[in-house]
Amino acid sequence: MAERGRIVRNEDASLVNATVAQSLALRIAGGRLIRRPNTATLAGLVLALPAVGFLAVFLMIPAVRLITAGFLTQDARGALGAPVTLSHFVHFFDTSLYSHVLIVTLRISLITAGLAAILGYPVAMVMARSHSAITRLVTFITIAPLIVSVVVRSYGWQLILGNGPAGLLNWILLSLGLIETPLRLLYSETAVVIGSLHVFLPMMVLPLASALGRIDPNLEEAARTLGMPAWRVFHRITLPLSLPGLAVGFTLVFSLTAGSFVTPAMLGGTNAQMLGNLIDQQITAIYDWPFGATIATVLVAIVVSVNLISMRVLDGRRSLR
Amino acid sequence: MSARLTGGMAWVMYPLTAATMLFVLAPLAVIMAMSVSTSPFAAFPPRGFTLAWYGHVLADPDFRSSLTFSALLAGCATAGALAFGMPAAFALTRCAMPGRDALRLILLSPLIFPVLVIGVALLRLFSDWNSNSAPLNLLIGHVLVTTPYVVRTVTASLLLADVSLEEAARTLGAGRWRVFRRVTLPQIAPGVAAGTLFAFMVSFDNYPISMWLADAQNVPMPMLIYRQVASIFTPAVPATSTLMILFAFVVVLVMERLAGLRRAMAM
Repeated sequence: MAERGRIVRNEDASLVNATVAQSLALRIAGGRLIRRPNTATLAGLVLALPAVGFLAVFLMIPAVRLITAGFLTQDARGALGAPVTLSHFVHFFDTSLYSHVLIVTLRISLITAGLAAILGYPVAMVMARSHSAITRLVTFITIAPLIVSVVVRSYGWQLILGNGPAGLLNWILLSLGLIETPLRLLYSETAVVIGSLHVFLPMMVLPLASALGRIDPNLEEAARTLGMPAWRVFHRITLPLSLPGLAVGFTLVFSLTAGSFVTPAMLGGTNAQMLGNLIDQQITAIYDWPFGATIATVLVAIVVSVNLISMRVLDGRRSLR
Repeated sequence: MSARLTGGMAWVMYPLTAATMLFVLAPLAVIMAMSVSTSPFAAFPPRGFTLAWYGHVLADPDFRSSLTFSALLAGCATAGALAFGMPAAFALTRCAMPGRDALRLILLSPLIFPVLVIGVALLRLFSDWNSNSAPLNLLIGHVLVTTPYVVRTVTASLLLADVSLEEAARTLGAGRWRVFRRVTLPQIAPGVAAGTLFAFMVSFDNYPISMWLADAQNVPMPMLIYRQVASIFTPAVPATSTLMILFAFVVVLVMERLAGLRRAMAM
């Protein structure tokens, strides 16, 4: 994603190379090649076939079957079948308990993505524009936690946000005399937002840093030479030109947060359930496959539509130039 | 090289970045501090200094079997992902064919699809097929989530490799396979190795697929820690977690040495 600009250019180059090579081959072969199928296309299909076949069998077909399960009825023995019905969806949106979880999921994802943009911007600026030693350090600290399991990181936040005087934050605030009684931070939406922010921040920083790295330094240089103050250069040039990176990061953080399970389970408890927890509950505990599938379909619909909107916005911007 | 951070901008950006870095490191540092506390409770402030919990963890048969299982699972899943992902990435970058954008979208789609939902869909599929082997089911699930990472990192490496060298070798009479092995592979090896390590860790850390497909005998590491945190009280959780953190940091260092982190992530 970061390499998007370069990817496009390189692809054009390889396309040109391919056509040059093909026309040479045609000339050498004296036209005999014309009737043969394009070997490059054939080779490409053969090479991609195993991966595409695997994804079709184990991702696309199961996903379609899961989504259809949301429109079927489960009999007493647990088998799915006719009649086809919309009742599970009606039940989901009509029951305030469930629609509340939907709203909480959207709220947590939106706030997390927004905060990630605010927190991630300075980090991306430093990553894209500092001296190499600092850049490497910041990149390391940003990416390293990404490779630590979400379970471990959420456990760390449990220790920090722990309710009662033994949680780190409460202990510090109590020791400093800033509060009289311990705060109740754990098992709340705030805790889930903090945990999700920690988990998905790199997904904002990395696309943003590459967008910032692609901005032509001459533009900012010119503006400064013409006497624009630093904050206006940022506001009028840097920020607008980094918007594609911001959009990619926002989409990633929003989608990943909306689909999370571990963070809300460990930091939200019963007070901040998200759609993922609801799916788990319906399928593992209640064994209601159609309703579990319905919730999964709602989640997929949210994630897919956010990604489609973002793709449209990014493509629209590109075609305007 | 783009413009350097200077003047007023630097005064704003550096402190904010430092604060965010603190936020990023805090939960990891806290776990490490608790892991050497002599107190059996996860309570602040930590007391004393002991490495006893580490001895405890390393001798624990549950920890050992989970670690072995997770490492094996991640190793096999990564191998599978390479087998599927390498040729596909080659098709995306070196074969001019129609529908390449659609192909890329299909290959990277597991990155967008909520991982949890992939897990549920697979559970449904495997129960319909009466596929009861948890290790096999887990392997298929983990190959599915690691393949797009391999595709992405190999694609990025192939785009950075010099195509004219390959063409020169072809012109000089080398066959396609020989060109790949002697010219392309040496160029992409560091990037691919680093990206593969990342895919390994994606599998090693995975929870939302494993939670549906694991059984009582085959418990990956993240599930073991989750269960220990959620249900059983063991003071060894910080030590187990610290071992996971240290392992991850070693892997990140290797990735950084191999190809640079951002290239390894292809982001």
